[in-house]
Amino acid sequence: MVRLFYFISALVFPAILFSQKKVPAANVKISFVNTVNHVPLVLDSVTYTNAFAENYTVSKFKYYISNLFLVADKKNIAVKESYYLVDEKDTATKSILLTLPVGNYESLSFLLGVDSLKNVSGAQSGALDPTNDMFWTWNTGYVMAKLEGNSPASTVVNNKVEYHIGGFASADNVIKKITLPLNTNINKDTVTEIIIEADINTWWQIPNDILIAANAVCTNPGVLAKKIAANYSKMFSVIKISTPAN
Amino acid sequence: MKQRITILLLVFIIVAAFAVDIAPPYKPTPLKLIIPKGWPQPPKNIYAGNPLTEEGFQLGKKLFYDGRLSKDGNFACASCHQQFAAFASYDHDFSHGFNNTFTTRNAPPLFNLAWSPLLHWDGGINHIEVQPLSPLTAANEMAENIDSVLIKLRKDTAYPKLFRAAFGTNVINSQRMLKALAQFTGSIVSYNSKYDKVQRGEATFTPAEQKGYDFFKAKCSGCHTEPLFTDNSFRNNGMAINSFLKDYGRMKITRNKNDSLKFKVPSLRNVTLTFPYMHDGRFYSIGNAIDHYRTGIITTQPTLDTALKNRIAMGNTEKNNLIYFLYTLADTTLTKSLRYH
Repeated sequence: MVRLFYFISALVFPAILFSQKKVPAANVKISFVNTVNHVPLVLDSVTYTNAFAENYTVSKFKYYISNLFLVADKKNIAVKESYYLVDEKDTATKSILLTLPVGNYESLSFLLGVDSLKNVSGAQSGALDPTNDMFWTWNTGYVMAKLEGNSPASTVVNNKVEYHIGGFASADNVIKKITLPLNTNINKDTVTEIIIEADINTWWQIPNDILIAANAVCTNPGVLAKKIAANYSKMFSVIKISTPAN
Repeated sequence: MKQRITILLLVFIIVAAFAVDIAPPYKPTPLKLIIPKGWPQPPKNIYAGNPLTEEGFQLGKKLFYDGRLSKDGNFACASCHQQFAAFASYDHDFSHGFNNTFTTRNAPPLFNLAWSPLLHWDGGINHIEVQPLSPLTAANEMAENIDSVLIKLRKDTAYPKLFRAAFGTNVINSQRMLKALAQFTGSIVSYNSKYDKVQRGEATFTPAEQKGYDFFKAKCSGCHTEPLFTDNSFRNNGMAINSFLKDYGRMKITRNKNDSLKFKVPSLRNVTLTFPYMHDGRFYSIGNAIDHYRTGIITTQPTLDTALKNRIAMGNTEKNNLIYFLYTLADTTLTKSLRYH
């Protein structure tokens, strides 16, 4: 019996060691911190003010991050089948764990949204499962980013603010490619954490003025959705890259 | 310590071996989508990411007929898509939904969906797999939410086994449910009407049917193109807007005013079984629907289809012959097939 154990160990353990040695890889954690004016977001209970002096609260904040793509040592590293739904309500969704080759990383790119192919390829699972409440059932396609809340400036029922931003077909396309500089070494024996801020206050302005009083609701693809997406495409920035000792 | 590890390892091996023994091997029976002779290939392979199997088809069939997919258990897919009406709602302009509601459009029949790149009257659905999400969650249809349906299916004694037979494990998720439904609905192919038999040399038209067919080819087939009897386009056929529904059709999806009042050209296969007609079921008889094209078309609508700007000239005899021909498009092999029931 003991011999059997050694026999299996002899087979299994070198295999594990060997496969690890083949590709020098490092663990990378990408964390998203949702903020308003650089202060971490608090749902429901905190009132925020946009550039037009309109007060608002946030009850829901979700967005898709997909097609991760990094540049290291002049080489492109695409993370296959990378689809993540960041949901402010669910802490686990705010970190992405990756295993990447070691190297000097210049930049991180991703799509804010879901690529058009996945919008036309039928039923998906995982982050893209339609039960995640980010899928339009009457006009097929993903909601790329969702912001809901309330505002005294809103003229719709219960002073709601509701932005469901989607659209993937050419004229309606709101999918944004985001590229963030990294300029950091990623080493084998440390976990590198890349902390990315997503600031909600970018949604209301630059280049397009979005006043809650005039546009409290956007739940269709189209001109307004594209304007809001143009604004929020600038919500991300890398605020910290650290290598906490382990 | 060493012994304890050994015991643990042995237990693991025994349990693993046992688990392998219990689970029957996953060997689904592959199926091929019927592509009738002389038909074009479907515009895309709807089963590219969803290999069609007998087990998947059977699971989809069970789901299609299962009322538990609706909130109160009363509204299976099949309650509005009835086989004897070529999977349309028989004799209903609008179908009934949860809590004494009506739908807002006439339920389309379900067949030859593999040849239909966009689904719904307004073409809002781009893949057969995601279509069921719409009726399942609509408050005036099945009124359910998907998570709740999945909970019901997981609790059921039969479904986990059927999911395993179809997909290899007993995991029940939305993707598998939707893929199974697509295996069933996409496999419904209507190709055994009298018209088809005439095309295959197995039957002959009566003189009236033949005259109706000749008229059809001259005046109708521009939009209702053979062999599918639709060109899958969106057109305005010149009806007054329904003042209650204010349904502008395709424009709702594209928000392009050139698409105002355009609806999907429906297939005329099984047309005599799928009354009432048009997106709002406003014409109860096939004669009334034809009369619309003879005399009813509102020719001043800016988006009216150019082929209809002079309406369709048609004498009474031609109309009668046309109706005789349209009856030959009824496929009772489909409506009576136990395969789909």
